[in-house]
Amino acid sequence: MTLAQWLAIVAALMGVGLWLLLPRRIAAGRSAGAVLVTAALAVLGSQLVPPGAPGTVVANILFYALAALAVGSAVCAMTFRSPVYCAIWFAMSVLATAGLFLIAGAQFLGVATVVVYAGAIVVMFLFVLMLAQPEGHAFYDRLGFEPLLSSIVAAVLVFMLTLCVLTPGTLPNEAPIDAVKVTADGEAAKPVVLNERHVAAIGQHLFGEHLISVQVIGVLLFVAIVAAAAIATTGKRSEEAQAEEVVS
Amino acid sequence: MNEIALLQNYLIVGGLLFAIGLVGFVTRRNMIVMFIALEMMMQGVAVSLVAWSRFHDNFGGQMLVIMIIAVAACEAAVALSLIVMMVRRSSNLDIAFWQTLREEGQEPTLDVEVPEPDDEHEDWPELTPAGVEPELKPEQIGYRSRV
Repeated sequence: MTLAQWLAIVAALMGVGLWLLLPRRIAAGRSAGAVLVTAALAVLGSQLVPPGAPGTVVANILFYALAALAVGSAVCAMTFRSPVYCAIWFAMSVLATAGLFLIAGAQFLGVATVVVYAGAIVVMFLFVLMLAQPEGHAFYDRLGFEPLLSSIVAAVLVFMLTLCVLTPGTLPNEAPIDAVKVTADGEAAKPVVLNERHVAAIGQHLFGEHLISVQVIGVLLFVAIVAAAAIATTGKRSEEAQAEEVVS
Repeated sequence: MNEIALLQNYLIVGGLLFAIGLVGFVTRRNMIVMFIALEMMMQGVAVSLVAWSRFHDNFGGQMLVIMIIAVAACEAAVALSLIVMMVRRSSNLDIAFWQTLREEGQEPTLDVEVPEPDDEHEDWPELTPAGVEPELKPEQIGYRSRV
């Protein structure tokens, strides 16, 4: 079988599995959906080239485990009925993604993702859930908008993306990192991203050539804080005004 | 490491995260879950950017991911305050409550048939009563109505 046929099987399994898992009018077939999505990921994994150097096993096992955990937790986060479970599975997916960042030589980003996403944003989700939906299960978590159409879209998207990435020739044939660079002194240059002093290097870039971006991000954060405070307090004021209207 | 295989695999993981997040955003009706789906799509993009950064041996992709994390934090602040505002008006997290804002000529979403809650998550453990029930003051009873 050719690569495109294998990827079509992956996309079809993924689409049907997601359709069975998503909230629908008939709640049956969710375990079958889980089996189909797992099968899709297994078939896709069998088509991938192991990323580790020849002869190394640990790097491959780490990558496959973390990738499967990230994608599987993402599916769980989108398909569980209880939003609290969704938030917790999302945190799991983010942790696995942070592991993938570590493998790819982005240690600082891995730590930052854990701190910001798993530490702050998920906790904020849970707080809002606690405020907004304290009694737990709601009917709208068991219904969805057009699960069939969106599953078809997901299948097409997965097929096109995997086919584009895996077809030989669409990506560059040779990685710049593989080629030995030579400095002006005739010595082999050190790699940039896989630097031993990673955080020092990333700080040098962040506050060197990307300094204006940092300033812009600072302004953006400030505006967002002001906007959040303004939205929240405006709502309160209008509520009080409504209450006063009712009283008067 | 086989750099090209690493790039391919990371791009595929990123694409899968994006596709799953897209499906969740379109399908789910809980506003919090829709927001989680948005964050999932941004995670997919971040994975791809980190892979390209490694491949080109250049910090540009990682810088962009730092910007994505900051924008996600801003977005979380604004979106969650909006959600809290909307919950104050509608007293639930259902996005279909706001379907009066839909486009002209669009059919409304009607809940004709709501599936029964599956009781797989309803199976909470029951604690064996032990000892004597302590006497609660009246203000404690009023304060802890749900516990």
